[in-house]
Amino acid sequence: MSKSNGNEISRRDFLKGGVLGGTAGIMSAVTGGPAKAQSSISGKKLAMVIDLRRCVGCGACMIACKNENNVQENVAWASRISRTVGRFPYPKYEYMPTLCNHCEKAPCVKGCPTGAMHKADGDITMHSPGKCIGCRYCITNCPYGVIHFNEEGKHRFWSNDKPLIENGTASAREVTQKARGRVLPYYNPARELSNPGTGIRRKGIVEKCTFCDHRLIKGELPYCVEACPTDARIFGDLNDPNSEVNQILSKFNSRRLKEDLGTEPKVFYVREFNQGSYEKTKGMV
Amino acid sequence: MYKSSKELTRRNLLKNAAVVGATVTLGTTLKPVLRAFARTGRADYEVQGEWRPTTCQGCTSWCSKQVYVVDGRAIKVRGNPNSKVNGAASCPRAHMSLQQVYDPDRVKSPMRRTNPKKGRNEDPKFVPITWDEALNTIADKIMELRKNNETHKYLLLRGRYSYMRDIIYSRMTKIIGSPNNISHSAICAEAEKFGPYYTEGEWTYRQYDILNTRYIILWGADPLAANRQVSYYMSRWGDALDRAQVAVVDPRLSATAAKASEWLPVKPGEDGALACAMAHEILVQGLWNRDFVGDFIDGTNRFAAGKTISESDFEEKYTYGLVKWWNIELKDKTPEWAAAKTGLPAEQIRRVAIGYGKAGPHAISWVARGPVMQVRGAYASLACHALNGLIGSVDNVGGTLKANKEYTQSFPSEKKFLDEIAQAGIKHKKIDHRGRLEFPALNAGKSGGGVVTNNAADGILNEDPNEIRVAIGYMNNFAFSCTQSERWFKALSKIPFSVHITTNASETTWFADIVLPSNHHMFEKWGYVKSFANGYRHVTMNQPVIKPLWDVRTDETEIPWLIAEKLAERGFDNLLRHYREYKDPETGKIPTNEKEFALYALKHATHKLWDPAEYQGGDKFNGWEDFRKTGVWNSDPYPFRKRWGSMKTKTKQFEFYSETLKEALAKHAEKHAKSIDDVLAACNYEARGEKAFVPHYEEPYMYGNKDGLVFVDYKSRLNREGRSANCLWYQELKDHDPGDEAWDDVAKINPVDAARLGVKTGDRIRLLSPTGELECTAKLWEGTRPGTIAKCYGQGHWAYGEIAASEFGKVPRGGNNNDIIPADYERLSGSSAFFGVVRVKIVKV
Repeated sequence: MSKSNGNEISRRDFLKGGVLGGTAGIMSAVTGGPAKAQSSISGKKLAMVIDLRRCVGCGACMIACKNENNVQENVAWASRISRTVGRFPYPKYEYMPTLCNHCEKAPCVKGCPTGAMHKADGDITMHSPGKCIGCRYCITNCPYGVIHFNEEGKHRFWSNDKPLIENGTASAREVTQKARGRVLPYYNPARELSNPGTGIRRKGIVEKCTFCDHRLIKGELPYCVEACPTDARIFGDLNDPNSEVNQILSKFNSRRLKEDLGTEPKVFYVREFNQGSYEKTKGMV
Repeated sequence: MYKSSKELTRRNLLKNAAVVGATVTLGTTLKPVLRAFARTGRADYEVQGEWRPTTCQGCTSWCSKQVYVVDGRAIKVRGNPNSKVNGAASCPRAHMSLQQVYDPDRVKSPMRRTNPKKGRNEDPKFVPITWDEALNTIADKIMELRKNNETHKYLLLRGRYSYMRDIIYSRMTKIIGSPNNISHSAICAEAEKFGPYYTEGEWTYRQYDILNTRYIILWGADPLAANRQVSYYMSRWGDALDRAQVAVVDPRLSATAAKASEWLPVKPGEDGALACAMAHEILVQGLWNRDFVGDFIDGTNRFAAGKTISESDFEEKYTYGLVKWWNIELKDKTPEWAAAKTGLPAEQIRRVAIGYGKAGPHAISWVARGPVMQVRGAYASLACHALNGLIGSVDNVGGTLKANKEYTQSFPSEKKFLDEIAQAGIKHKKIDHRGRLEFPALNAGKSGGGVVTNNAADGILNEDPNEIRVAIGYMNNFAFSCTQSERWFKALSKIPFSVHITTNASETTWFADIVLPSNHHMFEKWGYVKSFANGYRHVTMNQPVIKPLWDVRTDETEIPWLIAEKLAERGFDNLLRHYREYKDPETGKIPTNEKEFALYALKHATHKLWDPAEYQGGDKFNGWEDFRKTGVWNSDPYPFRKRWGSMKTKTKQFEFYSETLKEALAKHAEKHAKSIDDVLAACNYEARGEKAFVPHYEEPYMYGNKDGLVFVDYKSRLNREGRSANCLWYQELKDHDPGDEAWDDVAKINPVDAARLGVKTGDRIRLLSPTGELECTAKLWEGTRPGTIAKCYGQGHWAYGEIAASEFGKVPRGGNNNDIIPADYERLSGSSAFFGVVRVKIVKV
């Protein structure tokens, strides 16, 4: 539909990436090794533009992200900065969706002692749970607060064994079992496509947004982009001069979070959340 | 009780040490489950799922949806791209449906109450029973009424519904022999339909052509968060903002106000003053639309403040009574006059009126619940909607539109199945008092044509006009959703035998004798609904996209069928014989069980949409299976300006002076041998004489001490009609309602008032009204108008589930707004008053 740049990706790469990915997946299922698809994103510099005028601050991206990536309660790979400033009758409510900026010069990668946090195909800042020792240097180094430490373990709510009404309602664990889910009744197994066994991350390591690498290798857009009801998130390749992200960036002053730190974030913001028209004035002394 | 880690760390760490300890123990016993293979033998992540069509009824947008099903599990939700109404867009609440369908606190089997005492503080002590036992008990109770010629003491309470509703709501109630089918409509937004009906003859909600509009005034409407067509409007709002100015009239900074160019933080209840002043200004400035409204015969604008005009000087085209309206009401209603009433600067009122007027006819005056679901809200409904008439945006490009034509059909008639007992029974008066002098409920012009939902509680309590002995409620929670909810606690406790058909043990369930577990409307049910936006109407189906985990049945079809079978076993087979008339239109087969019945009934209702031989218009299908797989039918595009000159009013014109309302009021008055002025007095309106027939200003009617803060109630963008507070994502994202906090229920106070009251952010406070009280957290917020206190509806459950309630059956999480809002009414429409109706006192806990 309106996800034209998504269709671009899928049209261009779906057959190529999808078929190979599928084969690799089945192979890995036999051998038990990781499903390493032939990447269709290598050589790209993947980025996201967030058009704040389209964004309505609804949070659908956050829920969709949690849904897609089986993210546990009170952890948010896709998050937001919101605040109310100003005084009545002229207050302003601001909202800005946030996520991992997939920085070109990612400080989290520099500080990782094991290489768990690394730059991957598509210039994605990627995390390999298997190599993570939970030292949290990446969290310290990330200026954006988008890396989370898995302190609590797995989905506390869904591990509850006690029903609300004896024999009248189920326990959370019973729901998941009966639905044949995994920890979560609505567990999304596709999250494992790029890295089996990491559909839900273990306790004691960090986790963060991967631009939905498991979807990208199938030619699908990150789920927050796909699910955004306002099409405020636009995804694409900065290396392609014709990509929608480059076209949109050419029209507006864009900004990135904490640009002065030199991290070269790849999440760009254009336009304003607030419409803000006014009658022209010179103000007064 | 469920405490999130956020709550635990934030403020309860020490207090809840025991809870934390338990949690840690529980957590460490969990072995990571990392099965690599599904039952299919393939790796889970390689298993392809399927997007299956259905419908979301989380709010009354009624979007067509698709659910991604993998190996029988629902794991994702998106908009059904086949719908021309909502397309692929999905608001946040749609995703939350996953946490509803898999809510551990869903009732999984029928239950019976074992504690004979009923009350807010009486644990019902439910025990599971079989469907057979439950249905036998229900059938016995109904047969007892029939044996005693007391069928009018049967009551059906309906909450949210699909259009399969008539099977249980209308047909079953009538064939049993009761007049008492009471819907929720009057706690929804009936007063919102009042304005459009008595100006343009349409008792309905509207759709708005936002892509072609240049100015939008929203009256308490918050389409980026709540009702109606939220997914559609949010999907195109950015485009609308590129072309249109948006002005939001609301005492609190709503989600839509946050993105608007003008916020008009009106004093609650003063919307009518603002609308009248805008109309005044539009006329004085000469900004009315000549093509629609007409003009002065000599072309000279004689509208000037304070001046009466001769009706013969003005020639109207497609409207009626403009000069009457001016002379009776508008001539003195200047922006300066309204500034004093509304608390808004006169220059802002003037600026918005002129901006809106100049943008006409491509401009929208968008009326929602806020200004109209008030004690004297009917005339604000008229005034706000009449602004569309002035600038000619009614039925016009970039304006306000009605619904497109659709071709569903009703179920077979029940008439021949009404036996003598039933015919006598349905002649009794209804329990909600509709049509009495003080409750005109003038739905579509008819005295008593509408419901007075919330007054049914008083009818039950006072046994007026009779006692209720047997009640069945479905998909409703009046003990939570109706104002002054404690009346429902008492009323439901008083009914000797009541049944609740529900997904969760809600506040209403608490008082039930039998609980019947309902399937989830979006994932497990056959049904259909109609909805419109984007210049189209769609008919979208609820479909069983997954197999339910528990022993649940469909509220509107399967359960009435099963009751009908039990009644037939007891010698009363009229209902079953009636239901057997719902034949499969494809095969002519008579339904033999509840499952066939549910499906055939739906195929019958939608027959003309999917059968090419019956084709009437809109999308065309090859047959039932084609329609089912697509999931949605779209109408033909909207025919603009077709209704100009042929509106369904008494004069066929858009009525500024409503002859239609005059007739409706006269008939109601005549029925009671009273004057129209008597009716207005009984309904607590100030207007007398001619004023009653024009949009005009009425002083708001409020309860509570003058020094209290006016309570501002509103809807959450995460509310699935009060049914989503038991979802983790609801609580986690609660701060997405501007000003709100995650995992909390905050009352937002302007810092100016807070300083006076000595309240600061985070304080536990109690809000006291003349009819109740609640406890919540204080939040200082500049988005609240001084003199008011704003709090979102949705929290405050003391039942429903482990997350929704702080302590199930006992302590609410936050407070329910309806506990402090007095039960009063906009009586001309029968609506409950939710807004501008009470001032509250704030005390620190």
